Amino acid sequence: MLEARLEQADLLKKVVDAIKDLVQDCNFDCNDSGIALQAMDNSHVALVSMMLKTEAFSPFRCDRNIALGINLGSLTKVLRAAQSNDILTLKAEDAPDVVNLVFENSESDRISEYDIKLMDIDQEHLGIPETEYAATVSLPSPEFQRICRDLSALSESVSIECSKEGVKFACQGDIGSGSVHLRGNTSVDNPEKNVEIDLTEPVSLTFSLKYLVNFCKASGLSKNVKLCLSSEVPLLVEYSLASSSYLRFYLAPKIGDEE
Amino acid sequence: MARTRSKPTAKASKETTPPPATSNAKALPPSVENVPKLFVLPKDTSKDARIVTLDNPASGTPSRYFFCPEKGFYEFTRIAAPKKACRSWLITSETSMEDEQEEKHEENGGVEIGSGYVTKSADLFLATPIDLLFLILPALAPKSAKDTKQLFLSLDDYLDKLSSSSAHWKALLSQYPSLRAMIEKRMDAFCDTVDAGDDSMYRLSNTKLLQILVKKAERICATSFPSSMEERFIKPTLDVPVMSIKREESNTTQTTTDTSSQPQTETQTEASDTQPSSTPSTTLESQTSFESTSTTATSIEAEDDAPPALQTPPTIPPLLRLRTTLSYILSSYIPSPLRPSLLTLLSTPQPQSSTSLPDLQPLETHLSTLAKLKSQAAALRSISDNISRKRAFDDEDADRAAEREEKKRRKEEEEKRKKGESRGVKALKKVDVSGMKKLSSFFAVGAGKK
Repeated sequence: MLEARLEQADLLKKVVDAIKDLVQDCNFDCNDSGIALQAMDNSHVALVSMMLKTEAFSPFRCDRNIALGINLGSLTKVLRAAQSNDILTLKAEDAPDVVNLVFENSESDRISEYDIKLMDIDQEHLGIPETEYAATVSLPSPEFQRICRDLSALSESVSIECSKEGVKFACQGDIGSGSVHLRGNTSVDNPEKNVEIDLTEPVSLTFSLKYLVNFCKASGLSKNVKLCLSSEVPLLVEYSLASSSYLRFYLAPKIGDEE
Repeated sequence: MARTRSKPTAKASKETTPPPATSNAKALPPSVENVPKLFVLPKDTSKDARIVTLDNPASGTPSRYFFCPEKGFYEFTRIAAPKKACRSWLITSETSMEDEQEEKHEENGGVEIGSGYVTKSADLFLATPIDLLFLILPALAPKSAKDTKQLFLSLDDYLDKLSSSSAHWKALLSQYPSLRAMIEKRMDAFCDTVDAGDDSMYRLSNTKLLQILVKKAERICATSFPSSMEERFIKPTLDVPVMSIKREESNTTQTTTDTSSQPQTETQTEASDTQPSSTPSTTLESQTSFESTSTTATSIEAEDDAPPALQTPPTIPPLLRLRTTLSYILSSYIPSPLRPSLLTLLSTPQPQSSTSLPDLQPLETHLSTLAKLKSQAAALRSISDNISRKRAFDDEDADRAAEREEKKRRKEEEEKRKKGESRGVKALKKVDVSGMKKLSSFFAVGAGKK
């Protein structure tokens, strides 16, 4: 038996919105530590990993580990019926055929209830080790979204260079080239605008901009985004959520053709 | 025995290549332009042996031949792997496997293979002896088929003709007096000669030439064909079409047996009592192939009132083999102007006493009978096609239907899935992911959940 109550339906709406363009179907793994999700895109070069800890719910109850295989398109359709500040309750049996979603409007007494048929999804699960990254850049998520959007107009891929001077996003395309340079800065008045660069050694990697733009759809989830880079390993783009939950994206670097 | 060398003799060093660039551990040496070739050359050839370019007797195009003043000429046969099978040679200079003379050649030629060389094409050039006759034939043959009037000419005239046709002939003739003697000896064999004073005059004799060719062909046929050639040239030609209906009377060769209708259930019998009961294997095969219902193909003594189906008399396959061989020799070694006259000579019946040419007449008769039968069978097939080729509904069909159903279902599912894809997922499919490794190459698959 699973029963998880979210104070704000908005959280799940945004998470699903952010990943539905990357993966089609995925398993929501529910256990006593929360609800986790891991899925790769069709090309298997990007991975999304979500963790909603029990603390994000009130209350949370999960007697047995269950995997809810859900088509994200269907889930989006149902979640569209929920308003941002509705209370959302997820319910499922121990061996479920359907997952039940209940939206409660806190002001009126409106209660809506939906069932989504579950599917058997055969997905391989990757073990992702805790990595010490050579460079960790934290920046406002709208800023990252803007950089990706602007540069994607010029090119398919972006090189991210982290050095002592700061972080440089540069691209080269048919019509020309462009780059955005950010220096680390911290302001007391406006901590949301902070750019923090934690560097152990300089790195430079190239990534597909289309994927990064895709990741940026999660920008609404968090004011800040963390980019973690090391040479020869996938880039980690992390949006941290309340109560140590997170939404993480991994993207394989482009190796070989420096653009 | 012939031995494999990494390159031909020193004089032929133009065929070989400079060694690949100095060995650099990092970068592979660039591929050389003039790639080494592998030759299998005859053993114990004299030191003066060389590769020469002479006109191919059949086509007249310049071709490479291997010449040894003592042993004569050799032609090269290229043995190549089939195009689909990608093979290559690894050539190394394994000095211990080569004798001293070889090493000397290697030094003289100044060519070394270095630490090793991989050729892209796995071709092997095999030198096989070729009769001198074929090489000098172009000089003796008339220039065109119409030019039948041939004159007697002296040996020197013919040699001049050869020299003018190719610079290499000229060089060979001037360099090796022994060659002249070889040619003269060979010309005696297939030319009419007239003595004119001290000198002999020669003229090409088609009959003599044909006799030589037939002798060569007979030698080839003496040992039966390899099975692949038998399958390709002999069996299909002699296959009798399957006919379940009455077969009209037709005369076959030599034994002149009546061949008329025979119910399929009847056992097949041997045609004549003059034939031995154990026929050559090819005959057996062809019999069994056309009469699948006849379980005992041989060894039943023939009775005069049990006429058998058309059979292949045992004399036919050897004749067919001989003819196949002859046509091969004619097409690949004989100048084209000569071919028609030789063929007519071969097909015209010869008085058996005067020449030793084989009589191909029985073969011709048999083949024409077969051709008639085949055309009849083809006509029949087209009539009865729509009846006989229908199949009954059986388990196999049911399986297939189920399979088709399954495939259809899967396709529909896939289509449904495709429809359900979000715009973003579709867009990502178009992204160029070249140079991006799969994430499973970074993270271990199937490790425990985080």
